[in-house]
Amino acid sequence: MSKRDYLGEFEHIVLLAVLRLGREAYGVTVRQEIEARTGREVSIGAVYATLDRLEGKGYVQSRAGDPTPQRGGRSKRFFNITGSGAAAVNRTQQALRSMIKGLDFVARYS
Amino acid sequence: MRSESPSLRPPFIASRLVGLFTSGWHDEAISGDLLEEFSDVASKSGLTYGRRWYWRQSIKTIGNLCGAGLRTAPWLIISTTVGGYLLLAFGSSLPETLIVAVLQLRWHHVVPYYTQRQMEAHIFWLNTGTLIGRHLVSLFIGCIVAAVAKAREMVATLVLSVLLLALSVVGWFNVARHWPERAVPIMFIELVGMFLIPIGGVMVREVRRVTRARH
Repeated sequence: MSKRDYLGEFEHIVLLAVLRLGREAYGVTVRQEIEARTGREVSIGAVYATLDRLEGKGYVQSRAGDPTPQRGGRSKRFFNITGSGAAAVNRTQQALRSMIKGLDFVARYS
Repeated sequence: MRSESPSLRPPFIASRLVGLFTSGWHDEAISGDLLEEFSDVASKSGLTYGRRWYWRQSIKTIGNLCGAGLRTAPWLIISTTVGGYLLLAFGSSLPETLIVAVLQLRWHHVVPYYTQRQMEAHIFWLNTGTLIGRHLVSLFIGCIVAAVAKAREMVATLVLSVLLLALSVVGWFNVARHWPERAVPIMFIELVGMFLIPIGGVMVREVRRVTRARH
């Protein structure tokens, strides 16, 4: 994995939601967490498409939960962040902080 | 284990549509997540709102899954689309050739003198038979494309349909300019053919789903 491999905006948001939720991170909770914190309506398909991509990059791992009656007998898919996922979040945060540093954009555009 | 409350059932068509675009663990996870949230939304805000929410989520989810399918296997989708297009280009005239050959054979060697009824039947097979044959070819090619595309049956057949639609639009403009009275019937016939390609995808998908469920 390249050290310059930064996260895309939605990948970043999804990974932060998975980090916040800890062991309770699955499709519904990740989607709701993003909606509650960003005010942006997100589809479950977008969440899974991104989680799939992140799993392919080795940034998250998934495991199947038990089937529950509220879900019509279907099981949940829980996600947790890996070491390289956490490193990618840090890398992206650092890049963003370094880009923002010294800009008085909040005062200018608010 | 599957026990959904009958009063809080999500829209059947929407849930089946989502099921057509998911496979493996995605099927369980996405359908289960949608149902879980739908139950919450419907019990808090009412069934009508819940159903609207479910439809909105389903349509967006299908869009996202199509995009993901294209991104993760672009060469598979491109090759099945090109292959399907070539099959259609060579295969769509096949029913007409066959029907004309059979009718000519019958006319020249079996029934040399047609009655009025036989002439009507001859014309019927030339027009309607050819049309039905062309549509069956579209359905069959949809099935072939879906069979080759494996878990991306719907994405591959939809892409082929959209490509045909894009190519046909230019032709429709030309027909509308020169023969305006023929434009609508031709457009309708071609749209039916394009619609039958993803139907082929649905058929293959359902056969695979049933086969998997049996094992």
